[in-house]
Amino acid sequence: MHSNRESNNWEWDNPHNRALLDEVFFREQDYIRARSEEHKEFWKFFERFQRFQEKREAAGRSGKRREDEGGKGQGQGKKKASSVDLGLPKEYDPRYRINLSVRTKDIEERHSSRHRREEKTGVGKQEVSACRLGLLHFIDFTQKQSFGKLAKLKKEQRNLPIFQYRDKIVDMVRAHPVVVVAGDTGCGKSTQVPQYLLSAGFSHIACTQPRRIACISLAKRVSFESLNQYGSKVGYQIRFETTRTPATKMVFLTEGLLLRQIQQDATLPQYEVVIVDEVHERHLHCDFLLGVLRTLISLRSDLKIILMSATINIKLFSKYFGSAPVIQVPGRLYPIQVIYQPIPQEEQPSRSEKLDPRPYLRVLQGIDHTYPPEERGDLLLFLSGVAEISTVLEAAQAYATHTRNWIVLPLHSTLSVTDQDKVFDISPPGVRKCIISTNIAETSVTIDGVRFVVDSGKVKEMSFDPKAKMQRLQEFWISRASSEQRKGRAGRTGPGVCYRLYAESDYEAFSPYPIPEIQRVALDSLVLQMKSMNLGDPRTFPFIDPPPASSIETALHYLREQGALDSQGELTPIGSLLAQLPVDVVIGKMLVLGCLFSVVEPVLTIAAALSVQSPFLRSAQNNPDCATARKPLESSQGDPFTLLNAFNEWVQVKSERGGTSRKWCRRRGLEEQRLYEMVNLRRQFKELLRSHSLIDTEGNSSSRQDSYQRRQRHGERKQLHRLKREHEKQESGKRKVLRLEGEESGSSSDEERGRGRKDNAVDIQDVKFKLRHSVPELREAAASSQDLSRRQQALLKLVLCRGLYPQLALPDEHNANRKDSDQIFHTRSKQGVVIHPTSVFASDPEVLHIQEHEKKETGPDKEESSKHQILAYVSLLETNKPYIGNCVRSPALQTLLLVARSLDTNADCTRIVVDGWLELGLSDAEAALRTLSSALQLRGSWERLLNVQLGSRRGDEGPTGPAVSSKDVAKLADSLLKFLLYIEISYSLRRLTGLESQNLYIGPQADPGLPTLASLFPSADAEPDPVKGGLKVTSFFTYNCLSGSKDLYSDCLRSFWSCPHCDLYMPLTPLERMQHEAVCRPPGEVQLEEDVSEQPSSKARSSTALQRQYHCDVCDQDFEFTSTEILKHRRQHQ
Amino acid sequence: MEYSGEGSAQGVFSCELCGLSTPFSYYGQKPPNTSSIVLLEECYVMKDPFSPEKEKFLVIGSHCSLCRKRVCVGTECSLFYTKRFCLQCIKMHLEEFPQEVQQELTKRKSVQKND
Repeated sequence: MHSNRESNNWEWDNPHNRALLDEVFFREQDYIRARSEEHKEFWKFFERFQRFQEKREAAGRSGKRREDEGGKGQGQGKKKASSVDLGLPKEYDPRYRINLSVRTKDIEERHSSRHRREEKTGVGKQEVSACRLGLLHFIDFTQKQSFGKLAKLKKEQRNLPIFQYRDKIVDMVRAHPVVVVAGDTGCGKSTQVPQYLLSAGFSHIACTQPRRIACISLAKRVSFESLNQYGSKVGYQIRFETTRTPATKMVFLTEGLLLRQIQQDATLPQYEVVIVDEVHERHLHCDFLLGVLRTLISLRSDLKIILMSATINIKLFSKYFGSAPVIQVPGRLYPIQVIYQPIPQEEQPSRSEKLDPRPYLRVLQGIDHTYPPEERGDLLLFLSGVAEISTVLEAAQAYATHTRNWIVLPLHSTLSVTDQDKVFDISPPGVRKCIISTNIAETSVTIDGVRFVVDSGKVKEMSFDPKAKMQRLQEFWISRASSEQRKGRAGRTGPGVCYRLYAESDYEAFSPYPIPEIQRVALDSLVLQMKSMNLGDPRTFPFIDPPPASSIETALHYLREQGALDSQGELTPIGSLLAQLPVDVVIGKMLVLGCLFSVVEPVLTIAAALSVQSPFLRSAQNNPDCATARKPLESSQGDPFTLLNAFNEWVQVKSERGGTSRKWCRRRGLEEQRLYEMVNLRRQFKELLRSHSLIDTEGNSSSRQDSYQRRQRHGERKQLHRLKREHEKQESGKRKVLRLEGEESGSSSDEERGRGRKDNAVDIQDVKFKLRHSVPELREAAASSQDLSRRQQALLKLVLCRGLYPQLALPDEHNANRKDSDQIFHTRSKQGVVIHPTSVFASDPEVLHIQEHEKKETGPDKEESSKHQILAYVSLLETNKPYIGNCVRSPALQTLLLVARSLDTNADCTRIVVDGWLELGLSDAEAALRTLSSALQLRGSWERLLNVQLGSRRGDEGPTGPAVSSKDVAKLADSLLKFLLYIEISYSLRRLTGLESQNLYIGPQADPGLPTLASLFPSADAEPDPVKGGLKVTSFFTYNCLSGSKDLYSDCLRSFWSCPHCDLYMPLTPLERMQHEAVCRPPGEVQLEEDVSEQPSSKARSSTALQRQYHCDVCDQDFEFTSTEILKHRRQHQ
Repeated sequence: MEYSGEGSAQGVFSCELCGLSTPFSYYGQKPPNTSSIVLLEECYVMKDPFSPEKEKFLVIGSHCSLCRKRVCVGTECSLFYTKRFCLQCIKMHLEEFPQEVQQELTKRKSVQKND
């Protein structure tokens, strides 16, 4: 009794008392350590355990006697009298049910001896044993919990349809180099096959996925299922993130990434098994990967390849790999009722009209009438595009406010990530979700709980028009395969219904499979990659479904035009570099060009920004608050500059202590996720450029930090890692309940509150960002590109334009007289394109107009001005209209002369035709000649420096070749800027008419007078152009080839000219003069020039590089002359 | 002995009653890394896959003290009452067990039937 009372007096809640017990049971070396998460849980458990004990004790005292009697009675009555005595204690104690014990004897003894002396405050024996019992039960409880999870997991695995095929799959893979596993939704192939192979002892397994998100979720799932959740046996690798370690046996990665790895080493030695999942989706990369793998088999007899596919067109894949064996696994779908409800004629949308939402609303009504609200099940509605979604969304929302039993949510890829995630939230009881989606929900996004599917039968697909060099987003009927896939979404969790808004006969007429991507997109990047992988002629590559020959030709032509391939179709130095960059050719070019000048930082940002989806949310454009907040970010120079501003500002916000970038983004209607993608991509670009020695491998700033900063950074990182871990712990399986629209008085305020709460939570993206990037370094980069000087801006623009070339557009001459919304533009191959409404030039087109006072009338239809501008654009996409997107404006004449591939002139160079479609007319012949001449010189030195730069990086190992001297670069930049900014020349600019461009050239001439000029030019290939006529002076400049010029022989007319640099004063033809200018330098500069042109390979040249061998036919003598000297010499003979 | 390395699996445990099968990394009464805990039977043990801490273990199964069958610790296969008994053996010797255990088993059976 005495001890009992003492025990009652023991305060279990007292922290001091708990601490005493902690010393006994939860020491550093114990199973559970004090202050760990589990330790906290133990004490919570202990409180419950004690309450439970007390209750049972109370119940036990009253019920004990009866039980005893009953027990005895039965004990005596036993007849079977088991032959063995199990030696079990007859008195039941829950303690006997626990198969472990906790040893703490050592410390207990010490404690008790110590506490005997201070009995009042110490831990008594009783407390210790009470705590021990609690601990035993707690460990037993956690054991049961974990085992329960394990058993459930194993059971689910066994219940998957594919489980029956486990051994067969493993055996087949052992026996054959290639195996096809075909199974429909829900059969478990994506999660199980990798595990079967792992547990069969295979390692070094790569499993490709078409989507990054699937790589992450599958790696998570498979590592959990293979009981390696906290290990690194299973990992993923996507563009910017990897969880791969040396211990990783299986990695999920995107198709594109695996291709890049093959590009690094064609034999792919790092893998033993390659699983290609979702091959039926027929993505460009996947088709290409299959082709590459097929050629790889002959090199790697030990490689195992497994293709996984839905049960679509299996024979095709099997046949492609020499009749590879197929294992077909049934799917696990519940029965789905199909209802055909074709849209009546009067509700069918005509081409121009908006979609009629009535047929869709009828389905909602039908569901409301037929199915009681207690029967749960959501609706998934497939439409072709975003415009269609908003039309139906509006109508459905109106219906939902009325009936109050639907929550309507849109789903498409241009939504913010938060909005996309809403589709996974749960609706309150009695309310159904209605998700209105593009085909993104067909494969990429899987939503549980869908019971009803509405299929419009339509899809919008991107196709490429090689003639107009334009992407086209068009609406098509879907294929039967897609139609089945959409239907299947209704039967994942239970029996479902699929409403098809087309007739069964339509369905029969659908094509069986979707058109493979390779058949409908531009193949530029693919062909470039093929070239760099040494796969031979792309025209004969054994694709599973070869693309149209014209697509490959277009790509080859384009790559030649861009300088990535030479005339033989082989990779040029810049081409092989571009092939390493995971971006479009034009963006890659921009990066390479940017490296030469001091504009690398902004170019990196812009290139990254142009390679991800725009962070500016469309939906925020109509929000006046957002529009106002965005204003300071907008640049009238063009959209790339706006993106640059947004990024720089964002980095600024990020670097401020306590600044919440999330809020900042929301104010401006910016999707922060895109900015995170940008910063990651930007870093990848930087690393790539660095690894190709295109930018300095400056010691990264961390090495320059002092120890204090390093320590501080270290502390920060520790804190960030802790936040990340905590977040991961919380994040598991949280799902929110959706709110019914209009339920609350002020929906927006409620929303704000909800968001406000979220703001206080850990911003995991921010944590990851700060772990991955050095914010001070980024801020430095941002600052350097934030307030660009006029000069830097002009240089940057030139880099963008040369990168984006030939994607140029000319404003229509009558735009100034048109409404803002009617501004039209022309590209070389497509007339009448418009600016995408998101562009700064759509809202502010005036900056492209020439002001009245800036132009002068020089003839009918001829207006001269020095202010003409052109646009360089990133994308040309036709939806209902052809739109150009992400535009930058630039002075027309200067830009065209510096970037165009073809410049053709008349005899006095007053008429210059650019790329056969734009005509520059300069009435001042003297100025025209001067301008053209300096453009030629600038291009010459620019090209030379670029080649030196690209050449020097190719020095395989050891000392690199001659590096580009920064002095030369500075000089070139300076001259380019003078050309861009300070040339004031009036000219007319117009597009040639079709007829004009057909009869543009004089054609080859029999006149022998011209060739004599050829000897004047240092480049030996200056010769009559065989097609255009005239004289081909450089690869891009053909002189006097334009027909319709006043006088064919004006090229022979000489006029007196004095050279500003030397004392030359004599009558020269335009060409002779240009030639002189090309080589004559102010005395001080000559020395520099020599350094540049001194090539180690060139033959020993005499005193100056400007001199060359000249043989005079008249005196029959060889001279070492500069070009000017040649001219002078020839003049003697006349 | 440690669990940490991926290759530390001693073999594959599989329950002779329900077929549950999973690699184990230790067999015995003293799971590695845990000095204060002793198991009261020889057990098949793995690192607890659901805990981030590498010293946390999970008992998967052991041998029935009567028939020596290998059984998992799942309630449908075995029960511990000072010793491990597979459910088949318990059924045969049900009367040897105290009332509480018997009740628990009949209750469980009826729950199963209702499933």
